[in-house]
Amino acid sequence: MTKKKSATTKKKQANPSSRHRPGQIHCLKLLRQLSAYIDGELPSDICQEIRSHLGDCPNCEVFILSLQQTVILCRHRPVPPLKSADRVALRRAILKKAIAK
Amino acid sequence: MASALKKLSPPLPSQEPDEFDTLYRDHVDLIYRYAHRLCGETESAKDLVQETFLNAYRGLKNFRGEARLSTWLYTIASRACLRMRRKRKGEPEYELSLDELVPTSEGEFRLQIPVDELTPEEALQNKELRQALDQAIDALPKKYRMVLVLRDMEGLQAKEVGTIMGLNERAVKSRLHRARLFVRRELSARGIIDENDHKSGGLRS
Ligand SMILES: [Zn+2]
Repeated sequence: MTKKKSATTKKKQANPSSRHRPGQIHCLKLLRQLSAYIDGELPSDICQEIRSHLGDCPNCEVFILSLQQTVILCRHRPVPPLKSADRVALRRAILKKAIAK
Repeated sequence: MASALKKLSPPLPSQEPDEFDTLYRDHVDLIYRYAHRLCGETESAKDLVQETFLNAYRGLKNFRGEARLSTWLYTIASRACLRMRRKRKGEPEYELSLDELVPTSEGEFRLQIPVDELTPEEALQNKELRQALDQAIDALPKKYRMVLVLRDMEGLQAKEVGTIMGLNERAVKSRLHRARLFVRRELSARGIIDENDHKSGGLRS
């Protein structure tokens, strides 16, 4: 389920305050854009900003992974097929009602 | 056999029954799947299918073909679903706020059931995960659930989802993001495992 092992070299940040230096995208701002990021809707400069933040911020990295996994699980959520007997019964019920009115 | 079936069928009204039958045959599986994804169980899904095609039957003569038939049916189904009362009590329609969906402590960042090394199919073999996913989707307010289902499960583009729900693309994307964050949170913070039956939380099955 790992989408792409982030190729960004993970520098384990010793100093957490350096994560939010000016000019760098803030965690919260990033979290607001994550779906657009996952769906590939953001311009490349913003993507670049986000990628460099992710490399720098373990929490956001874990967060985006969990969101990606959530989306993938949704996409694969199983759904039972309609039974043939139900298909026939439903059609009949619909037509009966349609004509009754 | 065919003639026997014919005798059982109710007499059809003058308006193009063939057209309806074609519509039904071509789309009933699609709409059932959609309905089941929205309702989460079979009986309500069947009710919704019935309601949808009944409305479609009545509206078919006015259908001008500006939209694809499937889009039109999704629209009818979505409206019918919004009208349908939840059988369970409660369930107020509320807005999801972004602030509540963002994690506040360490443990909330990752999913409770590790799925890292698994394909989605393998991961969903895990009953607890599947239940948690179903419950999370079920707990979403309808209008969020609908966007999530249309976009992430039915695989429609944001624009088409907008047409179906009468929203602009921005609103669709905003709702989608919140819906995903909600489900993500349910799969993480709330804890999937019942506190009463401690299986130590790890479960690599
Ligand atoms: Zn961050």
